[in-house]
Amino acid sequence: MPTPSNAQSEAQSIELLKQILLREDRSEVEQLKEILNNPDQLSERISPIIEKHLVHMKQNFPVEYNTTIEKIITKKLENSQEELLNTISPVMGQMIRKYVQYQFQLLKEILDAQLDATFNQGIIGKVRGLFGGKAQQVSSETIIANLDRPLIEEIYVIEHYSGILIGSASRLETIDIDVIAGMLTAIKSFVEDAFKRGKEELEMIQYETFTILLENFHSYYIAAAVSGSMSMKERVDLENSLAKFAEKELKVNMQKKDGSANLIIKQKLEKYFFEPQKKALETGTSKD
Amino acid sequence: MISKKVILTGSFGVGKTSLFNKFLYNRFSEKYLTTIGVKVDKRNVNIDGNELSMLLWDIAGEVSQDKVPHSYFLGTSGIIYVFDLTRPSTFMNMARDIEYLKNLLPGVSVKIVGNKTDLVTPEHLAMMELELPLPYDILTSAKTGDQVENLFYALGKDLITNAASQV
Repeated sequence: MPTPSNAQSEAQSIELLKQILLREDRSEVEQLKEILNNPDQLSERISPIIEKHLVHMKQNFPVEYNTTIEKIITKKLENSQEELLNTISPVMGQMIRKYVQYQFQLLKEILDAQLDATFNQGIIGKVRGLFGGKAQQVSSETIIANLDRPLIEEIYVIEHYSGILIGSASRLETIDIDVIAGMLTAIKSFVEDAFKRGKEELEMIQYETFTILLENFHSYYIAAAVSGSMSMKERVDLENSLAKFAEKELKVNMQKKDGSANLIIKQKLEKYFFEPQKKALETGTSKD
Repeated sequence: MISKKVILTGSFGVGKTSLFNKFLYNRFSEKYLTTIGVKVDKRNVNIDGNELSMLLWDIAGEVSQDKVPHSYFLGTSGIIYVFDLTRPSTFMNMARDIEYLKNLLPGVSVKIVGNKTDLVTPEHLAMMELELPLPYDILTSAKTGDQVENLFYALGKDLITNAASQV
């Protein structure tokens, strides 16, 4: 049976043996501990490994992760369409607003340029503007109206039913005026016949901003083709002018049997309608 | 120059548009495209030194003339009434149609025209003449152009004569 002193001695021996056998391991563990506890040393050891991995990732990322990421993004997009729209819409709206503002700015600049031209004496315009700005405002309205002012393009005086052209005049060169007169009459006849509205007659044909006014008289009618926007007042004014023209000029000139009627009516139409319009266009003044 | 409105009328498919196109543009198409409403065009002709502007209205064919919009006929100086030599149904109503037109437009010049001579033999023509309710004025072929110019010139001549008698 071992005595206490023997047992102590045995433990010391084992410890000594451990120290001898585990000395190297312990030294390494200590070294590792020191490295782990010292950030600089740890970084020095790990950084090259991480860098190596990063380089590998950079080089191989598309190959290894593209499909996965695409799937994730697609799924995410599918799941959050509304969310995305909500996010994008305000941005798009803002962009559209900016574009519209820009276009308005351009329009304003064009108007300003026209204003300067209209008020040739720019200072007078500014002075007027100072005294209430009324004059300047009126001019802007006039200019806006002039941007799409109605222009008489063509006028035809046509015999009822036969569609034979009695006389015509145009702002620009027109071909086949006889055929136009014939077709207008055919359309007029068709509409008046198709809807069987007693003695009611077709008074207007319109497409987009092009209007053909038809002013009916006893044995003939006048067709006035007008481009641009025409207000009700402008329409009534034109109808009155056509009626006045018919009474003053057509009654007499249509009776001429020497073949000169066509030419005389053309000249009269030009004098009554196209020359004043041309002058107004050249001076840039509004009709009203 | 005198201007006169001339209408080409008759049943559908008799060749009104083909005659119209042959006279105006010297062209013919085998394709049949039915006329919708009316087509208007013009040709100036010189007849014995007189300038005549013929405003031609090619109107959609109808089995009977009283079905054609009444206003299409108004103001007309000359009528070309076309029938198809190969289809008796296109001249069955001829007598009634011509009477209707003459009542509607007193003094109007009418030419009764049998079209498509290129499709009939002389024997067939002789037999068909016996069936016609009224005698024809001229036989034409819009396809070959046979007698087309003569038809319009003959009508033009009538129109000039009528105009001269009205002065």
